[in-house]
Amino acid sequence: MRVAVVGVGYSGFNANTPDLNWKEITLEAAARAYDDAGINPRKDVDSIVTCAEDIWEGFAIFDEFVPDQLGGVLKPTCTVCADFLFGIATAYMQIKSELADIAVVEAHSKASDILTFGETIKFAMDPIWLREIGSAHPYYFAALEMSQYINECCITEEQIAEVVVKNKNNALKNSSAPYGSKVTVEDVLNSPMVFDPMRKIEIAPRADGAIVFVLANEDVAKDLTDTPIWVKGVGWWSETSNYDTMSFNAVYAYKAAKMAYKLAGITNPAKEVDIAEVDDRFAFKEFQHLEALQLSKRFETGTLMREGYFAKDGELPVNLSGGSLGIGNLLEATGGQKALEVVLQLRGLAGRRQVEAETGVAQAWRYIPTASGAVAVFGV
Amino acid sequence: MFNEKIIDPAELRHWGGKIELYWIYTSGEAGDRFFKALKDEDKFIAAKCKKCGKVFFPPRMYCEFDFSETEYVEVSGEGCVRAFTVAKLDKNEKPLEKPEIYAIIDIDGTDGCMIHLLREVEPEEVQIGMKVKPVLKDKAEREGKITDILYFKPS
Repeated sequence: MRVAVVGVGYSGFNANTPDLNWKEITLEAAARAYDDAGINPRKDVDSIVTCAEDIWEGFAIFDEFVPDQLGGVLKPTCTVCADFLFGIATAYMQIKSELADIAVVEAHSKASDILTFGETIKFAMDPIWLREIGSAHPYYFAALEMSQYINECCITEEQIAEVVVKNKNNALKNSSAPYGSKVTVEDVLNSPMVFDPMRKIEIAPRADGAIVFVLANEDVAKDLTDTPIWVKGVGWWSETSNYDTMSFNAVYAYKAAKMAYKLAGITNPAKEVDIAEVDDRFAFKEFQHLEALQLSKRFETGTLMREGYFAKDGELPVNLSGGSLGIGNLLEATGGQKALEVVLQLRGLAGRRQVEAETGVAQAWRYIPTASGAVAVFGV
Repeated sequence: MFNEKIIDPAELRHWGGKIELYWIYTSGEAGDRFFKALKDEDKFIAAKCKKCGKVFFPPRMYCEFDFSETEYVEVSGEGCVRAFTVAKLDKNEKPLEKPEIYAIIDIDGTDGCMIHLLREVEPEEVQIGMKVKPVLKDKAEREGKITDILYFKPS
């Protein structure tokens, strides 16, 4: 019995959302997803999975705040303390195990409510060994990883700039992407060097939004829609919480992808995957993640990026949505935005950024200071 | 459900909330040994896995690869720069008065590393592979915390 995405809904994405609170943006996304799936949540939904981290919300025991805005009162709900793609994996297992015929996955970001973003990330850093070091913004942690990566792989600043150019220009074709811009490599190279070797424009700014997916088993999916998008594989992986044993090389993404590809029966990802949405919350991360997902080989990614291999009209379009650089950092909803783009593309509903694709991959990382992440493979 | 929304920004309300929370953070068995040796004896302690021989720095009670015990060994605390960044923004994304150089320092005689600051060196002089050594606080001022190491400098 296969598992399909039968409905998607989203709210946003915006740099801020002063008129709605986080529950209301979730409600918007949920109402749209239920309409898209043609279901009544009070009657048809068997299980609800939300993905959130207390630290981003500003209050504790997030899972107690869940059911109402999703139509889930008096229903089985659970919160996965991770990105949306971990929620897809959880819902997939619930349906596969026949605990649920229809399961809903939700994640949101009300990042604009966070007044002390730097301190919030620092709260996630090891209090004994790391948190008290220096007084810079914890973005430094990603810049250290970038330093290691570009040194090991001989990546130039022009090559990193190409990621920003591609994604921000792709975002101009996405009316839901608030940070789309017609930037050039030269513009990127003029952006302030804030965490040398990382420039300001290479850091995804924050955004608000919510994403809701309705997943169903094969029989229900075929009753509900003529265009089910199959969840072909899911994978997730954590390296370690200790910085001294982390790879700083996205091994978490490599392992999560291997798990997902195995389930999906994909043996040659670079040939079999048509489109990918990968975590680009720091521009260099797109390079690292493409290699981890085996969509590009180490030492070749810079050249391929330059040649337009990952562009809209390239061999393997990546971050057609505009990515996080064009849409913004959606916190735990980041993987939701990536999965949403893949599903819209596979359904042929991606508007001006539509390409031909039958298999797509979505990937997200759990952001600073983690070495964890998840991958989902979708297909028609 | 969405027939009407607030369209007048002057009607919009929010409030700034804050809450004070306090913790103590337990250094633990391995951390305690490390910080005591650093504070009282200017020494650096690492932990060697009894099974695979991997030397952890910072030290810990167990090997995370074998899930087995470690034993404590003394190391110099010196090392070389694996990666570095010159940070110019503070936690509120405002310019720092003086840029801070952060580095991943591979510690000699261990398989581990330390993330810490570099000083007594100009940003443009820092190089990957550069040998560095720790500079400690005056003994009387040490607290048994990671900040007892003030920074690393070229050795």
